[in-house]
Amino acid sequence: MRNSIIGIIVFSVLAVCPLFVGSYWTGQLTNYLVYGLLAISLSLVWGYGGILCFGQAMFFGIGGYVMAVFTKGMIYPDLTSSYIGLIAAMAASSLFAVALGYFLFAGRGISGAYLAIITLAIALVLERLMSNWYALGGYNGLLNIPPIKLVLFGLSYELWDIVPTFYIILGLVAVIYFAVTFLVSTPYGLLLTAIRTHPDRLSFLGYSVLNIRLSVFALSAAIAGLAGALFVTLDGFASPTLIGFTLSTEALIWVAIGGKEMLLAAFLGAIFTRVAESWLSEIFGDYWILILGIAFMISVVLLPKGLLATPFEKLIGKKRRAIPPPPAEGDPSPARPLPPTPDQ
Amino acid sequence: MDILPVFLDASSYILILILVALGLMIVFGMMGVINMAHGELFMIGAYVMVMAQSYGLPFVAGLILAPLVVGFLGLVIEAGLIRHIYLRPLDTILATWGLSIALKQLIVLLFGPESQSVVGPVDGSLVIGDFQYPIYRLILMGASIALIAGTFWIFLKTDFGLMARAVIARPETAAALGIDTRRMYRLSFVIGTALAGLAGALVAPLISVDPQMGLGYLVPGFLSILVGGAGPLAGVLVGGTIVGGVNNLLAVWISPVTALIAVYIIAILIIRLRPEGLLGNRRAK
Repeated sequence: MRNSIIGIIVFSVLAVCPLFVGSYWTGQLTNYLVYGLLAISLSLVWGYGGILCFGQAMFFGIGGYVMAVFTKGMIYPDLTSSYIGLIAAMAASSLFAVALGYFLFAGRGISGAYLAIITLAIALVLERLMSNWYALGGYNGLLNIPPIKLVLFGLSYELWDIVPTFYIILGLVAVIYFAVTFLVSTPYGLLLTAIRTHPDRLSFLGYSVLNIRLSVFALSAAIAGLAGALFVTLDGFASPTLIGFTLSTEALIWVAIGGKEMLLAAFLGAIFTRVAESWLSEIFGDYWILILGIAFMISVVLLPKGLLATPFEKLIGKKRRAIPPPPAEGDPSPARPLPPTPDQ
Repeated sequence: MDILPVFLDASSYILILILVALGLMIVFGMMGVINMAHGELFMIGAYVMVMAQSYGLPFVAGLILAPLVVGFLGLVIEAGLIRHIYLRPLDTILATWGLSIALKQLIVLLFGPESQSVVGPVDGSLVIGDFQYPIYRLILMGASIALIAGTFWIFLKTDFGLMARAVIARPETAAALGIDTRRMYRLSFVIGTALAGLAGALVAPLISVDPQMGLGYLVPGFLSILVGGAGPLAGVLVGGTIVGGVNNLLAVWISPVTALIAVYIIAILIIRLRPEGLLGNRRAK
């Protein structure tokens, strides 16, 4: 429960931010919230599901492009509802994830390092494909994507202004954050822990490892797709960089620095890294990327649980001594819910 | 279109790709470390050549300096970074990824983001009747073949190679027999990085040397290893030939974009259908 209290505190702090920072920063923070959503999706699939996806931005990009195509009326001119766009974006991303996941995980599935390299290659292929798909803007991308239009009880409101947009996005991100947090605290979360640590034992217990992997992959893709769809409405612009390699690896850095096994830490990792980037890149100029690379390296080596998650766990962990934390990746000790068995 | 130059170009690309992949493979096969910074080490090799030429040193001096500098860098990386995360193979991907970002930016800071050019040691073309081909490309191919053969010789015929293969196959048993596995790891890492540096220096006159060049070789290099099979060294020859050959020939015959997409998809399919690689045995893993 402490976890959700910290979550509530974090979102409350974010909610009062527009009162203290100017409209420029509010606009930037809105973007960062969307990046945070992408980080949550990556944390879910990687930190909880144990699937190291080096191309998480492909789902973000698919969501972005689908949203753009729908709301610009490129498919059917009368059907430009933002709601349909958002739903289609999430559906398209998760369908793609199911297809890709089936290809990757079925049978003698691919895992670990191989999976990282293959997802990286797929992200590169998609980026290249979108750069050359001229019907979808090619290298220049799609411009003039309308902002989200909220229609409720016959009233409609377009999200042009910065502050209302911020609160709508913040609300959406908070809902998804708490929903996913709740989800991983249910027995489904336990299954994810099991699948991350001992997939073989889970299949002995009669669970379908493939289905669980697919479900978490698709769910994470849907969240990433939603993030992408929101993102293009903020900037009004969808380009191949959304789908590709750079954003994928950036997301990976946010999540690794924040802490992949804790949704809140991953979310804040994205926001902190972006905020730090805008501040420090002014001070350090080109040295910022060097510093980021080194910080990433150090945090992976010294704090594998993440820069933010480590202090968080201290904060939460005090009262939870009775329950040992879930073992880290590659830790040979059995996951908590499983009875101790002699090692193979 | 003349077919011979196309095949020669493809072969020279394949040979460089094999050189890069061979370094990756030594590190991956031996230590299970995925070195995402390998492309940047390749790039630094090329930049050492740029530096050497700007100081007026001859091409050969660059060729000698590049593996030394990059190999030393490899030693530092092994001692400072890789050594601490041997037991966490997935974290090596992330840590070396951070390293690759840092190295790339370091080069941008030192040399600027624009591409540099390197002058080849020989300019002329080999002319036999109608057939013309740049001499340097032929030298490059010869040198690459010699290097690949040399690496195979080291790993298959020398005592060091025997110990290295013992460490790959059974690290604990090898350690129990008195082989210093730590030292073997370090040496192989240095050999792998030095190879990358040398490959970068060799290919520098033919391509544009810029801070982003590493990725263009890293991903095909990894795909070559996985296609060929991470077990036997020869796998890299098969994998490199398939990945490099398909990429280069399709780029000439259709378009570079189609080639890249096609080669990645073919590689992904092969890896998916035969995770142990074309030459790997099913028992592995």
